[in-house]
Formats: sequence, structure tokens, C-alpha cells
Amino acid sequence: MTRSPLDLEISRAWLVDLAVGHEGPGEIVVRGGVLEAVNWLEGAEARGIKPDGVVVAPGFIDLHTHLREPGNEDAETVATGLAAAAHGGFTTVCAMPNSEPALDEPGVLARIRAAALAAGSPVELLAYGAVTVGRAGEQLAALGELADAGVVGFSEDGAPIRSAPILRSALAYAGALGLPIVDHAEDASLTAGAEANDGFVATVLGLRGWPAAAEELAVARDLAVLVDVLRDVPGARLHLTHLSTASALDLIRRAKAAGLPVTCDVTPHHLALTDEWVAGARRWAWEASGDPWADGALVTGPYATALRVNPPLRAPADAAACLAALVDGTADAVATDHAPHSEVDKAVEFGLAANGISGLETALGVLLAAVDAGRLPLLRAIEALTTGPAAVIGGRLRRASAGLVEGAPADLVVFDRSESWTVTPDCLSSRGKNTPLLGMELRGRVLLTVAGGRLAYEAAEG
Amino acid sequence: MSLVVDPAEAAAVAVSSVGAAPESEAVAWRHRHLLDVDRLSGAELELVMRTTDAMREVLARPIAKVPTLRGRQVTILFYEASTRTRVSFEVAAKNLSADVVNIAAASSSVSKGESLVDTVRTVEALGAQLLVMRHSVSGAPYLAAEVFGGSVLNGGDGWHAHPTQALLDLYTIRERLGGESQAARSRAGATTEGLLAGRKIVILGDLLHSRVARSNIWTLTASGADLWLCGPPTLLRGFEAWASRSSVAGRRFQVTTSVDEALRDADVVMALRIQRERMAEGLLPSLREYAARYGLTRERLALARPGALVMHPGPMNEGVEIAPDVAAGVQSVITDQVTNGVAVRMAVLYLLAGTQVPA
Repeated sequence: MTRSPLDLEISRAWLVDLAVGHEGPGEIVVRGGVLEAVNWLEGAEARGIKPDGVVVAPGFIDLHTHLREPGNEDAETVATGLAAAAHGGFTTVCAMPNSEPALDEPGVLARIRAAALAAGSPVELLAYGAVTVGRAGEQLAALGELADAGVVGFSEDGAPIRSAPILRSALAYAGALGLPIVDHAEDASLTAGAEANDGFVATVLGLRGWPAAAEELAVARDLAVLVDVLRDVPGARLHLTHLSTASALDLIRRAKAAGLPVTCDVTPHHLALTDEWVAGARRWAWEASGDPWADGALVTGPYATALRVNPPLRAPADAAACLAALVDGTADAVATDHAPHSEVDKAVEFGLAANGISGLETALGVLLAAVDAGRLPLLRAIEALTTGPAAVIGGRLRRASAGLVEGAPADLVVFDRSESWTVTPDCLSSRGKNTPLLGMELRGRVLLTVAGGRLAYEAAEG
Repeated sequence: MSLVVDPAEAAAVAVSSVGAAPESEAVAWRHRHLLDVDRLSGAELELVMRTTDAMREVLARPIAKVPTLRGRQVTILFYEASTRTRVSFEVAAKNLSADVVNIAAASSSVSKGESLVDTVRTVEALGAQLLVMRHSVSGAPYLAAEVFGGSVLNGGDGWHAHPTQALLDLYTIRERLGGESQAARSRAGATTEGLLAGRKIVILGDLLHSRVARSNIWTLTASGADLWLCGPPTLLRGFEAWASRSSVAGRRFQVTTSVDEALRDADVVMALRIQRERMAEGLLPSLREYAARYGLTRERLALARPGALVMHPGPMNEGVEIAPDVAAGVQSVITDQVTNGVAVRMAVLYLLAGTQVPA
């Protein structure tokens, strides 16, 4: 393998390309930043090339990233967030608009684009606009102007779209603009003061419960309003982000079966981690028993604030439902909900800690743990990071498709499934070191990320 | 037998001070902090009980003071209002000759927005070696323990745990039930587990918000009691799931909304405090209705075994969760709980001090 910024040849790797729906042995050639050749190998040439070694895939797309700029640059900046993305194999990120000020008018978008340009990262920065002015839930933001400026959709993320009438207006208005509404499904009346998933672990730890019903209610509301809007605006589209419960995913499964224009994503942490971690367990969701006190699974102390996230880490059955939804296509994409926080906001009491997990750099490793465990096909994992999210944001991508396209600027990630790496604060490019995976070993090291024909990340040798 | 000053010998001395114990192998106390009781073994609970026996001896002396913690600084950091527990810790520490520093959060820099981590580092820099802490957020003592160089003793955190309350409750029950029959005591080898095996203990009231109940669940089930939780359904949320999850032997308990079912043939009834906020939160119709349906009255107590113990962690709302005549009645051991609280806290401070490298 040779690595130079714009010229690259990778031979005898496992290629995965969902745009053509194929994976297998192959080689790629990049010349002057352009993906000149994608050669699928067969017969004797392909011998010995397996999917558990070096893998080449289209660059990943994250539908849900918090970059914290402007407003909370102690937690993350556009520059560090894009560096984290590249380290994680992402070549496109969609920033959430809950900055300070909120991205509710084109000026804020221009500001983060300028920051990206100054950072010099080739990672593509896309963004959502806020649904309402200041994310206050009352008056529609400048949706049309934001659409003209290039946002990929609208969201109040961090919070749900507060009222059904605003949601109805937003779905209609955005639908006519050809853009999705991305909702954070949470009925806040059931989650006031909530600290951890409402269930066995929260009961034992004395934490205020965050019921699954709060998510299910919000999804049910959103779907009902979507149906209402579709009568007048056939282009209305709803995307539900970071769904975390079996019941909410069942609603989506049924809505899709009924033909509604709804999509959703799940996060790596909701499908691979559980509320057992809050008690001090550190095992994957598919290894969980549901009673970590009974089987010696408590390997560390409880209440680690790196585990505080909204929605909360759920019970093993819900995590299994997230994984099942990903496998069966109910979930269209995996999104990281990369939510970096500074030490100041996390080194506090569990109940006072900021919600969020820094996730861009560990997403691939967590998904590969599910792949290694035989719970998730590799092809599906890559699909959920490439063509899946591309379909949600439609035509706003810089690249023509989320595949390995000959003749186009190279946009790809190379990772080695046979290599492991340990998650340490120093190895994370993000300013947010708030991941519960610190100290854990993940399989699948990213060797190289190429975005828009330029080198975005290259692993140090050895 | 008097207490020896050197904390390094603490465990062995405490056990041998109860000379009658047939199986007196010394269990070493190995926990630097006491944050919860969920991982204490039966043998460790027994060690605390026996150490408490030794402290009771100290308290019976004309001058109830030993020099065990002389020169050690115990800092009592309370982020929640409390009289009983704070004073109990203070008396316990002073009985062991510790230097005691009291910090009430309202009068400290906490009200100026100082973080818990900074406060703990500050009290350590001021010489604290044992930190007794109460906090309204569940799990806060774990954060303190991460940064504190000495030992943290959880004096109650949120809804989560109140370890010394559970230990003093266990001690009180053990003492009273054991006192009923010396024969039973010796048959059972004088262990707490033997004394409590098959005894029906009822915790009645607001389980949802109770750190006392959560800690008692661990210690009482570990001691072999037949534990019942009873209260209105809104205040039992989640406990049925916990009970059904507890397939492990020594961790089983029952949950019911029926007071009659809970109290029938009970050996111990522990009533919990009802806070007025529960009405505003929509969890209860009224205090009057609570008192009528769940209050521990003489009539209800008659369902229990004759001489059943009546307990309450305090402070009480007499006439709400417990009738005044029951609280003050012959079956009440509520003041014993308070007295034993000092001995238990002396024992725990003593055991924790023994895990520290002597200065």
C-alpha cells in the first residue's frame, strides 16, 4: 500500500460499496485525488482476501453531529470536530443547529462554513437549520432562507419540537422545500428531571426514571401529524433521530410498512451499550443479562457521567431492538449523536451532568464489535454509514453518490479490522473526551480517510 | 475487654470483643469507602454488627470516649438539611476523639457555585481524612470518592443509599429479635443471618423516594429476612421489577399495595416518611387519604405478631405515616434506632479509619 495525499493504490483489500450493492476482494487506484479505478478481483487474484482484514469503504456520513461552535468552543470547535470525523472515517457530517446562537438564520451557517474553511479540513460540513427562532419552539425560523443557503433539513435537536402545531407547520413548509424535519422524540412532560432509563438499574441506583413511553408518545404524535400534513403536502418528510426504544422502533416499522415517508436512525451507543453500564458493568448489550448485580458484571463504580446521554442508555431488550431495527432496515442509518462536552460539564454529580457522548471516533469500532459478535452483517453496517444516511439528506451531498465512484474525487475510508486500538483521551481528536469507552480496546483501526479527493486523516505508522 | 487504639487491629479486636462468638475468624474490613451496602457480604455485615457491639460497650462507660481517632479529622459535609444524622455522626466522631469539622452547604462557598470536586479537594487540603457526606443527587459520594484521598462515608445520597441508617436498622432488629430468645440466638450461632432468617420485615410507605428503603433492601435480604415492601402504587414504581429480577438467593423480597397482606404476621414494621411534595407531584391525593389507607395505626399493627417491632428512620409525621400512640408505644424501638445510630457510626468510622495508612 502506498499513501500519498493525492495518489494512492490499495491492492488486495476488501471493498464494500453499497451504491452497487457489492462487497468483495478488490483494489483501488487514486490519481490526483480522483478515484481512477475500482477493480473487483476474482478467482486466483482474489484468493486469501477476506473481509476481516483491510477494508475500503465509501467515506462515512454522520447525520447527527454537534460541533459546539459557535457558543461552546471549550467542548468542540468546527476544526476539532471535523478532525474527529476524519479520525472516525467520516467524510461528511451534518451539524445540529443547537449552537449559541442557534443556527436559525443563514448568518450562523456562513460562520461555521468560514470556520471549516479556515480549518482546512476536506471533510464536508453540512448543517441543519433550527425549526424555530432561537429553538424557542414558538415562531418558525427562516426556513426558506436557510434552505437557499444549503441546509439539509431542520431540527430542534437537543430538544423535541415542542408543539404539534409548530411541527405541523414545519413539516408542511419544509416538505415544500424538499427537506426533512428531524425530530428528537421526547415527550418532555414525562422526562422532567429524568436521569437514567426508567427501569431496574435506575430503581436500584435511585435515579429519576426516563420512561420509554416518553419516546413512544413523541413518535406517535409525530407520525400522526405527518399523516395530517401529507394530505396537503405530499413532499413532507420526517426523520426521527437517535431512537432508543423497542416500542418507538415498532411504530416506525409499522409506519414504513404503511408507506409513510418516515426514516430514522439509531446510535452506536444505544445499540451496543445498556443502562447496566450506569451501574458499573462494561459489557456489550448482546452480552448483558439485565441484572449486573447478580452475575458479577459490575467491574467499576456506578454513576459515570460519560454515560449520561439523551435519550438515556436503555435496557438490554431496547438495545437489542435498536440492533434488530438496523439489521432489518427499520433504521435507515447509524448516526453518532456526537455530543462533546468539556470536563467542567461532566466532572459533576450524575444528576447535574450534561447529556451527551463523544461518538464520531468510536462509532466504527462499536459497530464492528457487533459485526465481530455476529450480530450485524458488515455490509449492513457500512450501508448504515453511507448510502443509508445519504438517502435521508438527499441531494445535498457534495459527492454524486455514497459509493466508490470511478472518475469522481475520491471519498473513502480504509480501515483494518485485524488491528485494535485503545480509546484514550490523547488519541481522540475531539475536544470532548466524554466517552464511556475510554480505556477499552476497539477492533478496526482507521488507516486512512480521504474526503473530496484530499487526505483527511492518516494513521501514524505502526 | 476494651478497645485498642491502633486502628490496624480494629477488625480483629472488634470481633474478639464479643468473646462468645463461636466462629470468630476475623473478617478483614477491606472497603476504603462506605458508599453503598449493595456489595457488602453477610460476613462484612456481621463484622459491622460486632464492631457496633464493641462501641455499645464504650457508650455504656461513665465517660463514653476512646482515643481511637485522636488526631484524625472527620469532615461532615452536608448538602441537605439534616439534624439527626449530622449530629449522630458528629457525636460518633467525637466519641472516637476525632477532630470534627462541620460544613453545611448553605454556609459554604457551595452557594457561590463551587463544584463538588473543588469542595472535596478543598476540605482535603484543609486536613480532612474521613469525609462524611450527604447530598441530594444520587451517586454524588462516588464522585467525591474519586477525588478524595481519604475515606468517604455516604451519609445519604438522593434516593439511592443511606448505608449507616440500614446498618443501624439491622443492628436494632438483630438486637431486639435476638433478645427475644437467647436459645434461638445460640442455635443460630448468633449470626445476623440466623436471627433474621424467615422473619417478616415490612417497609411501609414512600419507597420510590427512599434511600433508607433501598439500602435496607440489600442488608435485610442479605441477612435472610422475609422482606416486604408496601405502599401506594405510585410510590412503589419500579420495585416490582426489582423484586422480579432478584432471582438470586438472599436477594428476594415481596412487593404489595395491600397493607393487610404486608402486616399480617410481621415481626418488624418500618414506616417511612411521607413528604408533602408528593401531593403537588400528583403522586398522592392527600395526606389524609394516605393516613387512612397506609398509616401505621394500632389497629393495623394488631395484624402483626404480638410484640412486633415498630421502626421509623425519622423525622416522623405523626398522624400521617405513623399514629402517635404507635410511635410512642411499647413496641416502638424508634429511640433505640437513634441511640444505635451513634454506635453504628462509631463502628463504621473505626473500620474505615483502619483501612487508611496511619499518618
